[in-house]
Amino acid sequence: MTYTDSAFLFIFFPIALVLYNVLPKKCRGTILLLLSYIFFFIISRKLIIYIFITTFIIWLFSYIVKKLQKKRDADLEKCKKDEKKLIKEKCSKKQRIFLILSIVINLGLLVVLKYSGFIGSNINALFENFGAHGRINIFKFALPIGISFYTLQAISYVTDVHKGVVKPDTNIGRLALYLAFFPQIMEGPICRYSDTAESLWNGERTTYEGLTFGLQRIIFGLAKKLIIADRLNILVNEIFARYAGFDGGIVAAGMVLYTLQLYMDFSGVMDMAIGMGEVFNVKLPENFKQPFFSKSISDFWTRWHITLGAWLRDYIYYPVSMSKISKKTTSKLRKKIGNYYGPLITSTFALFLVWLINGFWHGSAWNFIFYGMYHFTLIMLGRLFDPLNKKLISKLHIDVKRAWYKSFQIFRTIILVFIGELFFRANGLKAGFEMFKIMILKFSFKNIYNGELLNLGIDIKDFAIVIIFTIIMFIISILKEKDFDIRAKIANRNIVLRWMIYLILIISVIIFGAYGVGYIPVDPMYANY
Amino acid sequence: MEKLIEILEEIESGVDYENCTTLVDDNYLDSLAIISLVAEIEEEFDVQIPTVEIIPSNFNSAKALWELIERLKEEE
Repeated sequence: MTYTDSAFLFIFFPIALVLYNVLPKKCRGTILLLLSYIFFFIISRKLIIYIFITTFIIWLFSYIVKKLQKKRDADLEKCKKDEKKLIKEKCSKKQRIFLILSIVINLGLLVVLKYSGFIGSNINALFENFGAHGRINIFKFALPIGISFYTLQAISYVTDVHKGVVKPDTNIGRLALYLAFFPQIMEGPICRYSDTAESLWNGERTTYEGLTFGLQRIIFGLAKKLIIADRLNILVNEIFARYAGFDGGIVAAGMVLYTLQLYMDFSGVMDMAIGMGEVFNVKLPENFKQPFFSKSISDFWTRWHITLGAWLRDYIYYPVSMSKISKKTTSKLRKKIGNYYGPLITSTFALFLVWLINGFWHGSAWNFIFYGMYHFTLIMLGRLFDPLNKKLISKLHIDVKRAWYKSFQIFRTIILVFIGELFFRANGLKAGFEMFKIMILKFSFKNIYNGELLNLGIDIKDFAIVIIFTIIMFIISILKEKDFDIRAKIANRNIVLRWMIYLILIISVIIFGAYGVGYIPVDPMYANY
Repeated sequence: MEKLIEILEEIESGVDYENCTTLVDDNYLDSLAIISLVAEIEEEFDVQIPTVEIIPSNFNSAKALWELIERLKEEE
């Protein structure tokens, strides 16, 4: 069952909504948890055991930390002033041991389940290269859906408790629901405990505004996914599977259309998750902010999969680049090479780690690691040449606020993003390079002109629908980029006009949605990460 | 406060630091700028900024940053 299945949309979700609202407030958190576990069981069966283990570990961590902090507070009350620092440090040291333990167990589970096959096969390949006869047995484990998402949430929770950002929570129900809330379990967004745990467990009744705004957002997400992403699926699959027989024009079209498909699929599912959150009176964090208006690759990553970028920034980048050793090095380098290149050099290692983890997080294959390293290189180049770029702009008297310059920046970024997504989607790193080579060396519009593109699973009508709806989505994005609140504007209109707009959206999804015979829905792409 | 604005100007010029309250949210200060800023503040004001304090609410405005520096000074 996925979020776009009829069984989910017309049975599971409405039942959840009714049950949630008819039950008394104190039971609502529990019913949401129960429903979330039913959903998880339907999609992952016995693999549900893994989320139980993670939940138990973070609960146990909370329980121990709470006890430690209680003892620390009692000691602080009766100690002398000069002993306070020592008591705090002692408690923090003990907490750190349990923090490391809980992170190692949670991360260990993820690494073993997700990467043991990849690591094993690469070790065997190394053995072979060196002519060694030994081979290690490769275990391939079934991966519970959503493990990469809820593991990051678990790690952020234990780290925040250790830092003192959130208090240790010993309510296992609240912790369990924070990890397993069904609208976000498959593809995120990656939430923080302080964002959602309390409001999820509080179980505030659905409001009229939450219901209407939430349903609007769900239908908007459905439109993105069913009308555009699923419609493009056959074509994208075809181009990436049989790329060797096409010219560069078709491969380039595949790259652009895949990027469009990925955005419409992932951001569509995020719209649905956030909409469902609104219905249950919970504000889930946004995961996309008009990424195709980014002026640089760094900017792109503050607009695309925002919660993953923020997680890596807060739990990898800052802790590594602000560690004692890094700070000492930064301080020395600043004096030698200035306040720009000094921090730049020391933060490079942290940035490298972030992108290595980003690549690995997306999957256990070399093309994902390449994808991470590609973005690392682009960001590093951007940072290295930034001072030179600024000098050049000032010498050439370029007004960076002019529309042409902004358009140039956006165009440059989009092209770089397209290339990254080509490697991301390719069936392996070798295929990625081959496709890139074809795109450059055999580029021609011939097969696009002669209609070859229309023989790859979708016809001219499909293309027309994709183009029209992409233009509509693009206009909506422009309005959002200009801080024009479309939803609020529609909500302020009279009831007839308002419902006409909603009905048009619903009917569009029903008529133009690519489902049924002749269409294969996109696999929930991010669910497997 | 004047010294802090001076540091901010040096890292990223052309921003209205007196009034802007979205320095991080609107990407005026990116992650590299934050590292430079922390290094500069620690040296100039003789404080240690722990990682737990590297959160947007402390860096979104010059005023919030100044309050953080004052608080850290008091704690030390």
